[in-house]
Amino acid sequence: MTAEHNDNNNSIIKIALNLAFACIISGIIIGLVYYFTADIAKQKQLELQNLALQSIVQGADKYTPIPGKPGCYTATKGNEIIAYIIPAESKGYAGPVKLLVAVTPDNKVIKYTIIESKETPGLGDKAAQPQFADQFAGRTADELQVNKDGGTIQAISGATITSRAVTKAVKNAVDVAASITKGGK
Amino acid sequence: MKGYWDIFSKGLVLENPIFVLALSLCPALAVTTSVVNALTMGLTVTFVISMNNLIVSIVRNWVNPKVRVPIYITSIATIVTVAELLLQAFAPLLYKQLGIYLSLVVVFAIILARAEVFASKNRPFPSFIDGFGMGCGFTLAMLIVGVIRELFGNGTILGYTVLGSWYPPALIFIMAPGAFILIGYLVGAWNIWSARIEKAKGERGETI
Repeated sequence: MTAEHNDNNNSIIKIALNLAFACIISGIIIGLVYYFTADIAKQKQLELQNLALQSIVQGADKYTPIPGKPGCYTATKGNEIIAYIIPAESKGYAGPVKLLVAVTPDNKVIKYTIIESKETPGLGDKAAQPQFADQFAGRTADELQVNKDGGTIQAISGATITSRAVTKAVKNAVDVAASITKGGK
Repeated sequence: MKGYWDIFSKGLVLENPIFVLALSLCPALAVTTSVVNALTMGLTVTFVISMNNLIVSIVRNWVNPKVRVPIYITSIATIVTVAELLLQAFAPLLYKQLGIYLSLVVVFAIILARAEVFASKNRPFPSFIDGFGMGCGFTLAMLIVGVIRELFGNGTILGYTVLGSWYPPALIFIMAPGAFILIGYLVGAWNIWSARIEKAKGERGETI
C-alpha cells in the first residue's frame, strides 16, 4: 500500500461512508423482504394457532377469544361451552415451558400440549409423551401436584424439575379457568 | 477442477471447523443432543457460510480494510435476517424449530473466520466452494457428535428406537459434560486420522 493510497482510503469520512453504505444496502434488502413477507407470515401464524387449538379440543366448531384474557379461548359446540383453552407458562429445567391447556367448564383438565420448551431430549421432553401427559386428564386443581410433593402426578424419573414445572403450569391454567367461570356466573 | 475439489475437501477433514480449527464449539455442544437438531443446525450454517463467502468475495474490492469486520458482520446478519423472514412466511414450523439457533448463527466464529481468511482474498466462485466445504465439514462433525450422543444417551437415532428397552440410556451423553468428554475423544481420533492422511500424501510425494 503506497502512502498516497493510504491517505486517500483511510480518511475517517471515507471509512464511515463505506460502513454506512454497507448498512444502508443491508437495511434496504431487509426492509424489502419484510415488506413482501410480513402479511404472509402473519397469516401463517394464525393458521398455526388455529391448528394448535383444534388439536387440543376436538369436536368444537368455534373458538372465541376471551375478552380481557389474552391468549385464552372458549371452545363452543353449538351453544354449549365444551372447554376453555388457557395458555400457561412456568420455569422448567432449561428455560420456560409454554403450554396450552384445555379445561372443562367444571374446571377439570382435558389435556395439554407443549408449545415451546427446551427441556433435555430424552429426559424432560418426555413430558410431551402420553405416559406422562395422560395422567392429567380429569384432574382438578387440588390433585395437581407431583407425587414427591404429595400429589397424584407420577413424575418422570430423572426429570423432576420438568414434571413439577408442567404440573404447576397446568394448575395455574385450571385456576385461570376457574376465575373465568366464576366471573361468568 | 482438482483445485476446486481441494478447496472443498479441506473443510471436511484437514481443516474441519470443529475438530481441527476448534471454532464454533459452543453450538456443537449445545445443539447436538439429538440428530435432528444437529442436522438442521449444520444445514443452516452451510447455507449462511456459503452465501456470506459469496457476498464478501463479490464486494471485497469496495470494502475498506479498516471496517471490514463490521461489514462482514452486517452481511452475515442480513443473510440470517432475510432467511428468518422467509422461513417465517413460508415454513413457520421449521422456523419454530430452528428458533434461537438461527439468530445465534450471526455470531458463529467459523463464518467470520472464513470471510476473513478466504473470501476476502479470493474470487467469488472459489469462495463459495470454500464456504460450502466448511459448512459440510461442520455438518459432518455435528452429525457425528449428534449420532453418538443420541444413540448412547437415549437409545434412538432421529427419534427411532435403535437400542431396545434392554439398554439403560447413559444420560451423561445428552448432558453438557458428556459432550465435552466426547468432543475431546473425537478431536483425538480426528488428529490420528488426519495425520495418517498427511503421511500417505507425503509418501506419494504430493505437497500438502
